[in-house]
Amino acid sequence: MNDSEIKLLGFLSKNKHATIKEIEKSLGISPNSIASIAEQLSASGAVETSKQNVYSIKITDEGKSALEEGFPEEKLIKSLSASGGKEKLSKIGDNIGLIWAKKNKWVDIEGAEVGITKKGTLAAEAKEEYEASKILSELSKGKNEDIERIVDAQRSYIDILIKRKMIELKRHSNISHITITQKGAELLESNDGAEIDQLSRDIITGMKWKGKKFRPYAIEAPAEKVYPARLHPLHEFIDYVRSIWLNMGFTEVSGPIIESAFWNFDALFSPQDHPTRDMQDTFFLSNPKQLNVEDLEILNRVKKMHQKGWGEVWRADLAKQALLRTHLTSVSARNMKTFRDKRASEYPIKVFSIGRAFRNESIDYKHLAEFYQTDGIVIGSNLTLANLMSIMKSFYSKLHIDVKFMPSYFPFVEPGLQVYYHDDKLDDNVELIGAGVIRKEISKAIGTSKTILAWGGGIDRLMFNFFDIDSIVDLYKNDVGWLRTRGDLKL
Amino acid sequence: MATVTFELKEFYDKGIEKQRLITAVPEFGMEIESIDESSVTIDITPNRPDLLDFTGMVRQLRYFTKKTQPREKGYRIKEESGISVTIDPSVHDVRPFAACMVVNNADLSGNALKNLINFTEKLASTYGRKRRKMAIGIHNLDMVEGSNLLYAASRSKRIVPLGEKRDMSFDQVMASTDKGAEYSSIIPASGDPKFAFLEDKKKVLAMIPIINSEDTRVTESTKNLLAFVDGTSKKAVEDTLKILACSFIDSGATVSSCRMIYGGKEETTPDLTLREIRIRNSKIRKTIGSRLDQSEMISCANKMGYFGAKYGDYILAYVPPYRVDVLNEQDLIEDIAMGFGYLNIEPLPVMSAGGGTPDASSEYHNRLAKTMVGLGFTEAMNQYLTNERTNFENVSREYKKDEVISLMNSKTEAITMMRTDIIPSLLTNLMVSAKERMPQKIFEVGKVFKVENGKVVEQDRLAFVSAHSKANFSEAKSTIEAILMHRKGWTIEKHTDALFIEGRCAKAVANGAEIAVFGEIHPRVLSNFKIEEPVIAGEFVSL
Repeated sequence: MNDSEIKLLGFLSKNKHATIKEIEKSLGISPNSIASIAEQLSASGAVETSKQNVYSIKITDEGKSALEEGFPEEKLIKSLSASGGKEKLSKIGDNIGLIWAKKNKWVDIEGAEVGITKKGTLAAEAKEEYEASKILSELSKGKNEDIERIVDAQRSYIDILIKRKMIELKRHSNISHITITQKGAELLESNDGAEIDQLSRDIITGMKWKGKKFRPYAIEAPAEKVYPARLHPLHEFIDYVRSIWLNMGFTEVSGPIIESAFWNFDALFSPQDHPTRDMQDTFFLSNPKQLNVEDLEILNRVKKMHQKGWGEVWRADLAKQALLRTHLTSVSARNMKTFRDKRASEYPIKVFSIGRAFRNESIDYKHLAEFYQTDGIVIGSNLTLANLMSIMKSFYSKLHIDVKFMPSYFPFVEPGLQVYYHDDKLDDNVELIGAGVIRKEISKAIGTSKTILAWGGGIDRLMFNFFDIDSIVDLYKNDVGWLRTRGDLKL
Repeated sequence: MATVTFELKEFYDKGIEKQRLITAVPEFGMEIESIDESSVTIDITPNRPDLLDFTGMVRQLRYFTKKTQPREKGYRIKEESGISVTIDPSVHDVRPFAACMVVNNADLSGNALKNLINFTEKLASTYGRKRRKMAIGIHNLDMVEGSNLLYAASRSKRIVPLGEKRDMSFDQVMASTDKGAEYSSIIPASGDPKFAFLEDKKKVLAMIPIINSEDTRVTESTKNLLAFVDGTSKKAVEDTLKILACSFIDSGATVSSCRMIYGGKEETTPDLTLREIRIRNSKIRKTIGSRLDQSEMISCANKMGYFGAKYGDYILAYVPPYRVDVLNEQDLIEDIAMGFGYLNIEPLPVMSAGGGTPDASSEYHNRLAKTMVGLGFTEAMNQYLTNERTNFENVSREYKKDEVISLMNSKTEAITMMRTDIIPSLLTNLMVSAKERMPQKIFEVGKVFKVENGKVVEQDRLAFVSAHSKANFSEAKSTIEAILMHRKGWTIEKHTDALFIEGRCAKAVANGAEIAVFGEIHPRVLSNFKIEEPVIAGEFVSL
């Protein structure tokens, strides 16, 4: 038992029984709380409650107009009396008042004529008050106690008023008296303190819980909602992709996002007049406009590679244009340089990167201007197309995708290939990533005679396979509700 | 990528079945974009302009399906046509290069004329970069007068444009024809524009790269043609003429050459000499990683149009003139791999001893993220692209143009620059989450971008915000101190930043440098983001 239950039982044991009002007065507990404590005690047999019907009443619009203008039958006999006591039935027409006037024996109907009776004349002259009207009027003015009395005393009229839709009556059952039982008295006696509610340091250290009961809680009652703090799902996915590369023996590398056209395009043999270098596809920068290419040796070799390969004038100013990298292959290009002359025993060198790339898209709910890519290279001797395919197959098998290969063209690889899988639901081939053997011209320009296998492509869209999202844009909206309640990645 | 559409019936006439077409096209690296009962649309990669041509596509398919063997002796030029073109120095700074040939016995009946027009249009728009780099003109040779043509540049010439009845000045053509409007961007608008043109004894045959003359219009019954290619790239001009020459020869016409006279120098075009690539068998095997024998390699090369021959441990492959993309043996190896079939290559693992090492900063960021989650913050990931309004104006911070990485060419006002701070991103997140239950606590570990002393700086940062009715300065301070728990030598100092309420803003300083700012966000800023609850925030400007 808790404190308030004991308090109530204590009061009852002195008074045997009490009304809610009396309890409210001496204990200062609100009637609602008293009722709910009493329900709890009653459930354990400590008290008995007697209930009382309580009525609440509502006068309808119909009832209000009867109050203001009189009942239809009253109106009828008044008009009959005024017109000499007789009227043709057809003139009265479809009148609810006629039915009730007949019932009240205020009128007689003879043939096609309605005539007022003596009783009717008395009523019309208001010598005798109309009972129904009187009750309705009392109800409309009455306080709660009066309503209960009227309802009990005038049941038949009340029913008629309900039937005539002049009032609506609701009945509640309220506790009126509470009486302590034998069991309640015993419980009170055996309880030399309350049941333990909130456990406290004091109770624990002072061993005060000994010999006491713990109040059981209503376990079905709703608890406050709390949410776990979580990582972003894209972070979780990227970490999973990282772990695949790491487990395959690849070392993680990174590179700049703000990049020169040189490392993004020229070093990769992309011709200077290639459409992807158009303003339509690439974000060029107005600040800074240019980025210096520090390594002049590589710059000169790249220049020669372009002049020889494309037979065009190659412009250093175009190579210096500052831009947002359009792919992570720029990172791979820089790493070809980083790893170009290591000790022979370190090869093959396997590196990967994951990061954001940017394209000048018109953004909408399906398209973003920035997205994640993964890119990788293997540098070494005796590396083959078959090796490249094996790397791609192992990587995607960890993502439960069975990939296939078809030839494809990228200016920086030869042979080049497209990694794809067949989506059974769409009955279509879905392209995943481009790959190939880096052209010798490029590796030589960067300063290595080694063979380089390379690949790169987006990973955001892969998330759709593991996570329920409608649109890639939702991923970056960061709606807090969604971040807290989203489902798990099905990796 | 460029797409071309062909009628399927035409392939059937050349002995190529629909099903075989569907399987073969991707095997040599092109993609079928769509196919129905009557036509097929194919994506052509930029390295194979020869496949934009129906004749070129049929040729590749017939080799690939082994219905035809490549020409052992290559493509023959019949003789000199006797036509010469004098290249006037006036074209030097406009379109300095030209190449020309004569075609006899052409058959342009049926779909042939339509195919030729489609092909030259696609070629000039993709390979020719919308005619800027290279343009093609095909003329009715029988209407060409005289044997010495002039290729020059001027503004004051006249031409009867294709489809018109009367002659017009070049300026009128630019002002009043559709083609003039379409290609006006190629012609410099300022100064005194000059147009390249081709002229015979009597008239202008073409105003280049805008329009040909009506006088030399080619029709389905035209048999003898003059093909003239010009542009800013010698390689593109000559390669285009080679592709066209092979196409005409493969469709049964004969080609004769023309002399191009540059001052004292003379050249004869087209040059259809076969190039030879000699490559060791083992090198092919070593690149592909499959055990192909020599005759298989030759057969694979043949499927891609090379005429291949054995030569001891080498194979000799003759590159057909239309394969302008083939630079050296690497391209041949790829073609042999395609001929063999990528699906037939057995994947082979790369052996290596070492394990993979994660990037130290990614690992550090992961640890920080986990600390933040432990402190009850949920992670947000925002775009790096933003705009001045969100990044500066709405957070009451000053826009310093010189320090901002700005886009030159965005398609939308929503993205004009790279963010310089993370807090504005997080406030935007709170704005879209207004209806969600409080407290809302989020963080982000990510990059910001700046130009400092003329150098680009890409900085890793951590920022957090907490929004709820009781959010206050001490919560911000507790969070900052929790993150800094294991670092030494830092102090908390007063700070002023209009983003925060004056007197409720501070910074963490270590070794004299600011490492974090934090405090209660000013209600003026909150209103800009339509946020109705108090918010505290902090941002580590160095990690």
